[in-house]
Amino acid sequence: MEEQDKLKILKELLLTEEKEYADSIAKKVEELSKIVHQKQKLSHKVDPIIDDKLEEFVEEIPKTLGPTITQTLKEEIKNSQDAVVEALFPIIGKMIKRYIAHEMRLLSDNINKKTKEAFSFKRWFRRTKAKAQGISDGDLAITDYAKPRLIQMFVVEKDSGLLIADYSPLSDGTIDKDMVAGMLTAIKGFVEDAFQGGNQNLETIEYELYTIHIQNFYSYYIAAVISGAYNLMFKEVLEDQIIEFAKNHISRRDLENSELFTNKLKKHFEDEIV
Amino acid sequence: MKLSKKVVLLGHFGVGKTSLFRRFIDNEFSEDYKVTLGVQIKKKVVEMPDGRELSMIIWDTEGHTDIEDTRKSYLLGSNAFIYVFDLTRIDTYKNLSEDLDYLTKNHPKVIIKVIGNKLDLVNEKETLKNLEELNVKADCLTSAKTNKNVQDFFSELATEITA
Ligand SMILES: Nc1nc2c(ncn2[C@@H]2O[C@H](COP(=O)(O)OP(=O)(O)OP(=O)(O)O)[C@@H](O)[C@H]2O)c(=O)[nH]1
Ligand SMILES: [Mg+2]
Repeated sequence: MEEQDKLKILKELLLTEEKEYADSIAKKVEELSKIVHQKQKLSHKVDPIIDDKLEEFVEEIPKTLGPTITQTLKEEIKNSQDAVVEALFPIIGKMIKRYIAHEMRLLSDNINKKTKEAFSFKRWFRRTKAKAQGISDGDLAITDYAKPRLIQMFVVEKDSGLLIADYSPLSDGTIDKDMVAGMLTAIKGFVEDAFQGGNQNLETIEYELYTIHIQNFYSYYIAAVISGAYNLMFKEVLEDQIIEFAKNHISRRDLENSELFTNKLKKHFEDEIV
Repeated sequence: MKLSKKVVLLGHFGVGKTSLFRRFIDNEFSEDYKVTLGVQIKKKVVEMPDGRELSMIIWDTEGHTDIEDTRKSYLLGSNAFIYVFDLTRIDTYKNLSEDLDYLTKNHPKVIIKVIGNKLDLVNEKETLKNLEELNVKADCLTSAKTNKNVQDFFSELATEITA
C-alpha cells in the first residue's frame, strides 16, 4: 500500500465523528431488520418457531453487533501504529477540535464581548493616537490585532492533569478550567507517548486563532493561551518570564495550596507581558 | 481550599463506561452505542456529608480487551479506578483478577472499584450466584439505564477518596 493511502485510511479511521459512525451502524441494523421482518411476514404461516427466533435475533443485534464492530475498528488502528506517528500532526489538530472546541468558543465569545464593551473608547483613543503620530487608523488597527496577548494561564499537575492554579486577564470564568486542564494533559500524554524514547515534550498547540504555549517543570506544567501572532520573540519573552516566576516565586508549598499559587500567578503576570 | 480528585473509568468495549459517566454527570442515558476514541473528561462537583465540596474529575477512557493497552499516561496520578464489566458478557470479566493485579501492581496507591453493569438485563439472584461460582467479586452492580445504584456508588466513592 502506498504511504499516502495508508495515511488516508488511518485518518478516516481515527477521525470519523462518533455520531457518523454510530449512525452508520444504526442504518445497517435498520436495513437488516427490514429484511428480517419481510422474511418474517412470509414465514408467519409456515413456521412460528422460526418466527420467534427471528424476533430475538433482531432484538439482539444492537447488543451483539456494536461491540464486535468496535473491536474491529480498534484492531485496525492498532495494526497501523507506525502510520500513527506519521499521521500524528494533522490528527492532533482534529483531536483538539473535538476536545476543546466548545470550551474555546466560550472563551472567544467572552473576549468578543469584552472587546465590544471597550470598543467605542478604544476607537476614540486610537484616533487620537493616530493623529498625534501621523499614521492612519487602519494601520494601527492591524498592529493592534496582530499583537500577541496572554488570554489565559493554567498551572496543571503533570500526572493527574488536576488544575493547581489559573489566571485569566480577560475572561471571567465561564469556561470549565478543570476540564480544559484534564484535556490538555490527555493530549500531551497522547503526543508524548507517540514520540516515546525521543524524550519529546509537546511545546505548543495551535488552535484556530490561538496558540497554547506549554512549559514543563518537574511535577507540573504551565500552559498559556495566546491570541494574535505568537512569534519567536514573544515566545522567548514568555518563556523567560515563566521560568523566572517558577524559579523565584514558587516553592513546594505553593503546589499544595491552590489559593496561594493562584494569587502569586495573578500578581506576577498582571504587570508582565505585553 | 479546593478539593479535586481524579477518577478513571476502565474496562472492555461497550460495557457501559460512557453510559455510567453520562448517567452520573448529566443524568442522561441513550441506547445508541457511540464508541469512545481516546478519552473524554468531565467534572462533577459532589457535596460531601461533612459539607465540603469535592470536584470529581472523571476520565472516561476508550475500551480495551487487554488492560495493558490502556494508554499509560491516562492512568497516572489517579485517586481511583472504576473497572466496569458487562454482566451480560462473560468475556468482559473472565480476566478480571489478572487485570486487577496489573492495576494494583502498577498503581499501588490507587483505590480500585469493580462495577458489574447492565443489571437491568439480567436476573440479579442468578447473576450473583454465577459471579460467586466464577469467584468474581464486584463492589457494586449497576444499571446505567435505570440509574440503579449509580448515584449511591459515586457518593460512597467520593467519601472514600477524600477520607
Ligand atoms: N440495558 C442496558 N444497556 C446499557 C447499560 N449501560 C450501557 N448500555 C448500552 O451498552 C452500549 C455500550 O455502552 P457505552 O456506555 O457506550 O460503553 P463503553 O464502555 O463506553 O464503550 P467504549 O467507549 O467502546 O469502551 C450502549 O448501547 C448503551 O446504551 C445498562 O446499564 N443497561
Ligand atoms: Mg465509551
